[in-house]
Amino acid sequence: MAPSSSSGLTFKLHPLVMLNISDHFTRVKTQLNPPSSSCAAGNTPAATFPQNFRVYGCVIGAQRGRTVEIFNSFELVFDPTTDSLDRAFLEKKQELYQKVFPGFYILGWYSTGSEANESDMHIHKALMDINESPVYVVLNPAINHAQKDLPVTIYESEFHVIDGIPQSIFVDASYTIETVEAERISVDHVAHLKPSDGGSAATQLAAHLTGIHSAIKMLNSRIRVLFQYLVAMQKGDIPCDNSLLRQAAGLLRSLPAAHSEKFNDNFLMEYNDKLLMSYLAMITNCTSNMNEVVDKVKTAYAKKSRTGGSRIPFM
Amino acid sequence: MESSSTIARKTWELENNILTVKPPADSSSDNIFHYDGAAHAKVLKEKPWATDPNYFKRVQISALALLKMVVHARSGGTIEIMGLMQGKTDGDTIIVMDAFALPVEGTETRVNAQADAYEYMVEYSQTNKLAGRLENVVGWYHSHPGYGCWLSGIDVSTQMLNQQYQEPFLAVVIDPTRTVSAGKVEIGAFRTYPEGHKISDDHVSEYQTIPLNKIEDFGVHCKQYYSLDITYFKSSLDSHLLDLLWNKYWVNTLSSSPLLGNGDYVAGQISDLAEKLDQAESQLVQSWFGGKKASLHKKKKDELPLAKITRDSAKITIEQVHGLMSQVIKDILFNSPRQSDKTPSDPTDPEPMITS
Repeated sequence: MAPSSSSGLTFKLHPLVMLNISDHFTRVKTQLNPPSSSCAAGNTPAATFPQNFRVYGCVIGAQRGRTVEIFNSFELVFDPTTDSLDRAFLEKKQELYQKVFPGFYILGWYSTGSEANESDMHIHKALMDINESPVYVVLNPAINHAQKDLPVTIYESEFHVIDGIPQSIFVDASYTIETVEAERISVDHVAHLKPSDGGSAATQLAAHLTGIHSAIKMLNSRIRVLFQYLVAMQKGDIPCDNSLLRQAAGLLRSLPAAHSEKFNDNFLMEYNDKLLMSYLAMITNCTSNMNEVVDKVKTAYAKKSRTGGSRIPFM
Repeated sequence: MESSSTIARKTWELENNILTVKPPADSSSDNIFHYDGAAHAKVLKEKPWATDPNYFKRVQISALALLKMVVHARSGGTIEIMGLMQGKTDGDTIIVMDAFALPVEGTETRVNAQADAYEYMVEYSQTNKLAGRLENVVGWYHSHPGYGCWLSGIDVSTQMLNQQYQEPFLAVVIDPTRTVSAGKVEIGAFRTYPEGHKISDDHVSEYQTIPLNKIEDFGVHCKQYYSLDITYFKSSLDSHLLDLLWNKYWVNTLSSSPLLGNGDYVAGQISDLAEKLDQAESQLVQSWFGGKKASLHKKKKDELPLAKITRDSAKITIEQVHGLMSQVIKDILFNSPRQSDKTPSDPTDPEPMITS
């Protein structure tokens, strides 16, 4: 329904934004629908609960060249009388966030729902004086387990001529998930409940390898899908898609990924460094054990008769 | 697709004796997000923590709060950052729902920073209440980039002050450098004892690697606070989103290389270890020359510094070896010559053995 964006901007979304929006929605939902004091009876009056409320907020981030990176978000107050967002509140919040994250500025706004409405255009236009081309992020809070894709859509506004009248409508924009290492680790941590404290070396190793194993499984399943698709194309079940074939061929041609002399040298050097480290750790371990043994021998065979002893002790 | 992670989770749950409480209805698992103002005011009046310094035993942190704190801590680089946490209490558990950063530089002394940041905090809390976040400030967090999760002298005095005037209050410390290096979140939650409280001697806190220049500060104050267990929770929508996120995330997991990002941190650790070795050696030499009797009276509980160093070195090495394993796996996956051309190169390089 919404045609794709043609602005050429690439959007990058951080997982923090999604968790922010989800948290905002969950909070408001539980406040509107307080849990019954006896949780045993699961018959909360779902009928009277307004299922179709929406929460609103603002997204902030930075734009570098053609890449728009959405880092963070905060909540906003919606004024149902004027059908717009509270402007003073927005500016106050923006000031606060500017102090802590000086590099970020308002990129757009978000709301929950299933798709963009016409009424959202008012809010969108209101934000245009802060950012001449704001983005609109929509999160669909309905939990649908059959769905494989993230329920987040990003819209931009563009002027299109419809029926002879130039209007601005929402157009779909594609986005990628961008993350920094620390974010990835904490998301992984919360998602899969890895062991948080030290644990033995075995559990740490198991946790680390399990993570890599799951990632490789995904890779394997994706490659399988691609493979089956190509086989079907070869058999003639599916019409040949040349651009896809070109992409697949390009992918295969890029393997082996890095095989130059320099890469091999670097790789082996790092490998040797790590082996050296474990060797040193082993030596330290042995030294400490030997020290304990010597101490024990000394204690066990201490001869009290020897006086003073200017003998250099055996090290 | 999820089976391996469920296996890992089941293993972890078994090891940690997790009792899964089945929520009666779907919405009640999100109950934790509900803020009950009346109940909270009642608890504030009763103050059950005033009588028992060990009252709070556990902390529950929401997924959102954890993510915000870790990202903020990492964005500071090597400078300490700080912020406040909002939430509520529930019996002997402190629940952290959200966190926000404070605009203070790490170089200021902590006590001053609190005074400066009060204005920010008040404004932020007010705007939050309007927007629907009703919880109060329930603690503060700051980062110790690279030197572990514990409370320094200044931290201890700040927290003691907080616990006098702003109860209930919690202190959380995050180490973003070690998080990235080890691949798991380094976080600790603490509460201080009131002045003069004697901690029982057989309470052994978990061992940590502390760099040499901070070890005095750690040792002087480590008996003045205790750490709380941390667990995490997330809403049903959060879990759903995170599950779907994994579809895009697996690329990042595979492509992450913890070795490259933390080069100077590892070098720092190794040089610190070398200094500790020097110190331990001179200590040992002294004790030898000082008379053989000295070593006979060594308490059984004190660990030899050499044993501590061994543990530190094992920890660093294990992290490095993990990183190396990832690199080798990636190399095998993407760099092996194709099957049709030649026989595959022997992938079984002897992996270094790891003992705890």
